[in-house]
Amino acid sequence: MDMGFLMASLIDGLLLGFVFGIAAIGLTLIFGVMEVINLAHGPVIALGMFTVYFAATLLGLHPYAGVGLSAVTGLLLGILIYAIAVQRVIGQPHLSSLLATYSVNMMIIGIGTAVFTASPRNIEFSLGSITLGPATIPVARIVAAVAALLAAVALYFFMQYTRWGKFIRAVTDNRDAAELVGIPSNKVLAFSFGLGTMLAMFSGGLIATLFPFTILEGGKYELKSFVISVLGGLGNPMGALVGGIIIGLIEGLVPVFLPTTWVLVVEFVLFVLILLVRPTGLFGGRAS
Amino acid sequence: MAILEVQNVSTGYGEVQVLWDVSLRLEPGQVTALVGANGAGKTTLLRTIVGLLKPWQGKIFFEGEDVTRLPPHRKANMGLILVPEGRQLFTHMTVLENLEMGATPPRAREKFQENLELVFDMFPRLKERLHQKAGTMSGGERQMLAVARGLMGAPKVLMIDEMSLGLAPVLVLELYESLRKLREAGITVLLVEQNVHMALSIADYAYVLAEGRVELEGPSKEVARNPHVREAYLGI
Repeated sequence: MDMGFLMASLIDGLLLGFVFGIAAIGLTLIFGVMEVINLAHGPVIALGMFTVYFAATLLGLHPYAGVGLSAVTGLLLGILIYAIAVQRVIGQPHLSSLLATYSVNMMIIGIGTAVFTASPRNIEFSLGSITLGPATIPVARIVAAVAALLAAVALYFFMQYTRWGKFIRAVTDNRDAAELVGIPSNKVLAFSFGLGTMLAMFSGGLIATLFPFTILEGGKYELKSFVISVLGGLGNPMGALVGGIIIGLIEGLVPVFLPTTWVLVVEFVLFVLILLVRPTGLFGGRAS
Repeated sequence: MAILEVQNVSTGYGEVQVLWDVSLRLEPGQVTALVGANGAGKTTLLRTIVGLLKPWQGKIFFEGEDVTRLPPHRKANMGLILVPEGRQLFTHMTVLENLEMGATPPRAREKFQENLELVFDMFPRLKERLHQKAGTMSGGERQMLAVARGLMGAPKVLMIDEMSLGLAPVLVLELYESLRKLREAGITVLLVEQNVHMALSIADYAYVLAEGRVELEGPSKEVARNPHVREAYLGI
């Protein structure tokens, strides 16, 4: 076994894990606040990628400025999706919200395929690599991981110490009680959905700086987000960050020993095992 | 003029009607008791007043304004505040955060420090537990926090659902003592209780609810003397 290759794979996986984690935080945040499983998460991640792409090709923006634009767009788009499709199914059986968000998923993918076609895109962008001992790491991956980590930390402080962050926690805890103390819970839900979508598009934007992509690319990351959310405990944002790192490490390590196609197999075996053995996730979910 | 007026309200859950043509008036600065057996519709009436449940018929006026269709948070912002049954605290948040959330209405935010001192004065125990998670406290402490959270909202009308339920008698007395202080502070109180004796002893005026209808109303002393009430609720 080549130690350099192993090290490089580990570090690579770890760095990607942060980016996966931030997408999963978006998914798990939405579920935690309103118990909606957002099946439009994947296409929204893909929209994040396209935002960065078009910001670069049409507006001439630097990819990282594009990532910022993508995040802001996500906040607004999420609030719009909430107002149109999600608002009316809050508190309804899960099937209703699954269908509603799946419809949004189909609309984005349908329109996206028609407008952008399904051909792969690539952002011409490189920051070179640095060599750490035996491992060579692309700088863009380090930047993406650091950006994702900073976003997670910022989210933590936002939730913990700001007025609207506390509103979100209060509505998550008990929506009726939140209404009774004067919190406009419907606005808080809309904002939370915006925040979750913002994280998805932010993460998509970061991924676009690393890999080529198509409009269908989001599905892959949506599945990862599900595995990560369940791993970290559905509804538990900080658990999702750790879950993301674990999935990232699997992503890095499995190809060292097995063909790359086994990555998904290992991830989903883990997914099923967690559901069987510890359905609240490694760090406890919403109900704990 | 009544500060809160419920006019001929009927409502229920799904197909099941719970309240029939209920009317109720709260006079400013008074403590009003709403008593009745389990299942009489007391909690349903409170949920309807704050807007967690929509009335099928009838109207609700707060300070002369029709608030029948307003969502609960709008009513809370106006000063109509419910301390719900079963406390309904934000269990994953700290005591202080619960109190902060209680002070969400703009008019309450201005008086945050002042009200904080008021509730610490009333419930010194909360001051010792400021950074404890609400869900980890004892039943009595949670009930105190629920009332304190309600007070942080700078209520004009404070409605308290089943304050004494499941609490040790000593604690109940302590909480009732606090309620007397509220009346001195000029807050209008609607007290919903299964503990009829206790409620009638503190209230100025009382309504007896039975099977979803107002069975009897009047000054508490008179209600307490009513032979039917004595037999059915006071066990005398």
